[in-house]
Amino acid sequence: MGEAIVITSGKGGVGKTTTSANLGTALALQGKKVCLIDTDIGLRNLDVILGLENRIIYDLVDVVEERCKVHQALVKDKRFEDRLFLLPAAQTTDKSAVNPEQMKKLVLELKQDYDYVLIDCPAGIEQGFKNAISGADRAIVVTTPEISAVRDADRIIGLLEAEEGLEPPKLIINRIRSGMMESGETLDVNEITTHLSIDLLGIVMDDQNVISASNKGEPVVMDPTNPAAIGYRNIARRILGESVPLMTMEKSKAGFFGKIKNMFGK
Amino acid sequence: MTKSQLITIKGTKDGLVLRLDDHCAFSDLLSELKEKVQSSVLEGVSEVQLHLGHRYCDEKDMNKIQSVIHTSPHLRVSKVHSDVISLKECERKLIEKQSETYIGIVRSGQVVKADGDLVIIGDVNQSAQVIAGGSIYVLGRVKGIAHAGAQGNKDAVIAASWLEATHLKIADKIEIMTDELTVLSEQPEMECAYLQKNGQIAIDRLQELRYLRPDLATFKGGI
Repeated sequence: MGEAIVITSGKGGVGKTTTSANLGTALALQGKKVCLIDTDIGLRNLDVILGLENRIIYDLVDVVEERCKVHQALVKDKRFEDRLFLLPAAQTTDKSAVNPEQMKKLVLELKQDYDYVLIDCPAGIEQGFKNAISGADRAIVVTTPEISAVRDADRIIGLLEAEEGLEPPKLIINRIRSGMMESGETLDVNEITTHLSIDLLGIVMDDQNVISASNKGEPVVMDPTNPAAIGYRNIARRILGESVPLMTMEKSKAGFFGKIKNMFGK
Repeated sequence: MTKSQLITIKGTKDGLVLRLDDHCAFSDLLSELKEKVQSSVLEGVSEVQLHLGHRYCDEKDMNKIQSVIHTSPHLRVSKVHSDVISLKECERKLIEKQSETYIGIVRSGQVVKADGDLVIIGDVNQSAQVIAGGSIYVLGRVKGIAHAGAQGNKDAVIAASWLEATHLKIADKIEIMTDELTVLSEQPEMECAYLQKNGQIAIDRLQELRYLRPDLATFKGGI
């Protein structure tokens, strides 16, 4: 019996889908059997980021309405043999096509066959959010060091804490620009964690390659040298129960020396 | 002679004490009071304390008694003692005295309400609300909205380990902390907000609370 983890944020555009794709890939790289579910019905993206768009035949709505079997709708990522699958969202309808009971049943079914079921939650706190969290055992809240994102994360954490049967949510701070954080232009990691007062699961640096990799359909985590990829890999290891030290200070120092190097380089 | 027993007058160093009989009809009491007041021979202004005993007087009855006494320019009611209150008033007082405790963080969008006092052990985050009929005490940071004395209790206060709320409300007054930074720079640690006599919400150090609202303390006296 596997574990279902919902990845949510409240605010849009903070990197839920990117995080889902990268964590799923990272867990598959660690040898786990992973199923990703895109619950953003009507605005699906996860398939694109994983580069699986053209292989979709059935989708989430087809499954819950029993037009097909679950295994027929799952799209296999061939890069990982039998370890990474995607259940895509439907694009032609909207969030109301699925209800929380159906999602619960579906996730329970998938948990039998997979080590991890990662549920990519849509933005907002409405039906789509309720669907996404209904089957989850754990929740990961993604935020960025912006006040607006932190405010929405706070709201979401409140809703998650009120949900029964869900473990206390964990936090990922995404898109950290070490320079801005050091100069105090954005909230720092400490401020965010004290404000939200939930456990920090990990931090991910802002990196251009995340976008280009997403455009190519290859999650950035496949590149082991990329700083964002290291962040995602560390988070995956923490999900697996390893204790991996936080890379904040090291990373920012490296960034600082890197800058000096660059200056001399010129 | 029997009639004169309804009201007994005693002179003390604090003025006159009028003990009103609590068994007779109210109209009899009033008419005798009228008599006594008119027949009184006094100079200057004397303070009068009313002792109602077990008679329950609502506001209307009280006004009648007072207006009778105030027909004499030499008398002024300073205090009213009564051994009874209505059940409704009693319930209201009980509820206001009650204290409810919330442990945890009040997060954005959440509302925590209490009829009486409210104790929050944890933070009140931005755009979260805490509302109480009585006072609000927060062992943590108030960064959202706090409304004390929601039913109109002007003596209610908001006390917190860290008071940097965006909105403070006491009874029907609202104070908007337009510039959070100015509040921050003034050391928001261990502060309390209260309603001044002029109707403005003021913020002071927590230590001042015992002088500002001595009635909030339930421990009286001491060794």
